Amino acid sequence: MKPVNKSVLEEAAQKLMFEMDEKQYDTLLEEFHTILSQLELIGEIPGVDEVEPMTFPFDVTNSFLREDVTQKPLDRDVALKNASDVVDGQIRLPKVVG
Amino acid sequence: MSYLDLNIYEIHQALLDGKVTPLELAKEALSRAKADTNNSFEYISENEALEAVEALKNKDKNNLMWGIPFVIKDNFSTKDIPTTASSNILNGYTPVFSSEVYVRLINAGGIPIGKTTLDELAMGGSGMTGHKGFTYNPYDPSHKHMVGGSSCGSAAATSSNIAPLGIGSDTGDSVRKPASHAGLVGFKPTWGRISRFGLFPFATSLDHVAYFTRSVEDSAITLGLLAGRDDKDMTSSFKPVENYFKNLKPCISGVKVAIIKEILDSISDQYIKETYLKTVDELKAKGAIINYVSMDIRLCKAIFPTYFIISCAEATSNNANLDGIKFGPRYEGSDYQEVMTKARTNGFSELIRRRFILGSYSLLSENQKDVFLRAQKCRRLIVNRVNEILKDNDVIYLPAAPTTAPLFNASADKLSDEYLIADNYLAIGNFAGLPSLTLPLGKKEGLPFGGNITGRAFDEQMVLNFSLGLQEITGLKNLSSKEGK
Repeated sequence: MKPVNKSVLEEAAQKLMFEMDEKQYDTLLEEFHTILSQLELIGEIPGVDEVEPMTFPFDVTNSFLREDVTQKPLDRDVALKNASDVVDGQIRLPKVVG
Repeated sequence: MSYLDLNIYEIHQALLDGKVTPLELAKEALSRAKADTNNSFEYISENEALEAVEALKNKDKNNLMWGIPFVIKDNFSTKDIPTTASSNILNGYTPVFSSEVYVRLINAGGIPIGKTTLDELAMGGSGMTGHKGFTYNPYDPSHKHMVGGSSCGSAAATSSNIAPLGIGSDTGDSVRKPASHAGLVGFKPTWGRISRFGLFPFATSLDHVAYFTRSVEDSAITLGLLAGRDDKDMTSSFKPVENYFKNLKPCISGVKVAIIKEILDSISDQYIKETYLKTVDELKAKGAIINYVSMDIRLCKAIFPTYFIISCAEATSNNANLDGIKFGPRYEGSDYQEVMTKARTNGFSELIRRRFILGSYSLLSENQKDVFLRAQKCRRLIVNRVNEILKDNDVIYLPAAPTTAPLFNASADKLSDEYLIADNYLAIGNFAGLPSLTLPLGKKEGLPFGGNITGRAFDEQMVLNFSLGLQEITGLKNLSSKEGK
């Protein structure tokens, strides 16, 4: 398991695309201390690594296909309604090249 | 007395008899919503409510939701109505479609009074982390006690009789715990029983639609309307929907009731425990078969960390679309990464960012096996044991929470049994997707507390019928914070 230190947390924040200040990292490191102690409780459970991971409450099998009916998609104006910087029907972003 | 203070089925009769009109009810509900002092609302939908009244067709004696005011948590999409999930990253966002739950309520003639506050993005249990600040417990006019969360606004609004129905969502206990703190019935049906289309996802494998009412009867009525297959939600079930209200009858004699000893033992409040045990004695006297069962204490202690790891990991992924570009406040930057980073730094509170980092840490390739996958394996062991208990028993019955509503400045030892087990065990209902209902058991120093009943998957009728029997024992029906004021 990757050790928890500030640089690991900074790397995670960068990947998640937000910033944190020094005080917030300190709080997070304290929080991790508690969480890692709680995690040890899971590791102590007999047989925990011998079962399959559970991804949903119970198996759901969908064995049907929807009818192939043509539907009208969202109008472009509606789809762009919540974007705050729209030019010529497209969302404007900073230039990538020149 | 106002008709708005009654239960749904009583208001329905008054509407049928012409004693009150939908417009009078809506105006009264809107007036109470505007006078709310508990920070219950993100948005009061006055125009939408009046339009809904205007659009009502002839009354129908078989449609109990006709003309009934309701409130809905602000993480349900509502077309053309601002929806923020109490997060700054969604300020100004107006959905272009409505959630299935909202559509069903409106189509049935329900009157939308407002969108209610929540812990930011539904990730919290205190009602303290929404962008509009704390939501207060209506039973405490001094505003020192929380109502709990994350469905805090719907709990506060239902408890203070603004509406007889408050829609919420429940990923760990986000309806059932605040129901305990607010003297309400809080019901989370089976995973897949109610469509989640249009509900902002937090942790997809644990998220459920759930709701608050002031009686078991109203809970049965609401389920009858909301339950059922929806092709827009691939996880919604094809199982037939029963007439839960018509089939509702108190059922205690012969019911096998499991009490998990380790969970009960982790509660230190003697008054709550004794009140609960008195109801157990009464259940026994009425013919219930009480079975004290055991769950490995190590499994019990692992409930909270298992929940925390899985929910944070899924949330990290589910909220990756919140980029400040397609919707939400836009920030300038020299490239799109800077635009996104500014939006996410300013848009998410510190707590949410910390949770995302934890989720991301548990998903790192070096950690997945020891953290995320191990939590998912632990979930399976917990679910196996709970389902084993329910093989031999019809329901599990326990106190819903170890305390009444905590003070805002209360702190908990996060490694204590009371925190790890009693304060967080309700998540087993989410792990296993089981129907689970909280109802009032009593009050301590003016603050309510509840009990919780969990049943087998899709056996909502048993949970409701047993709960109705228990409601008759306690006599605690249609509680309201208004009575104490």
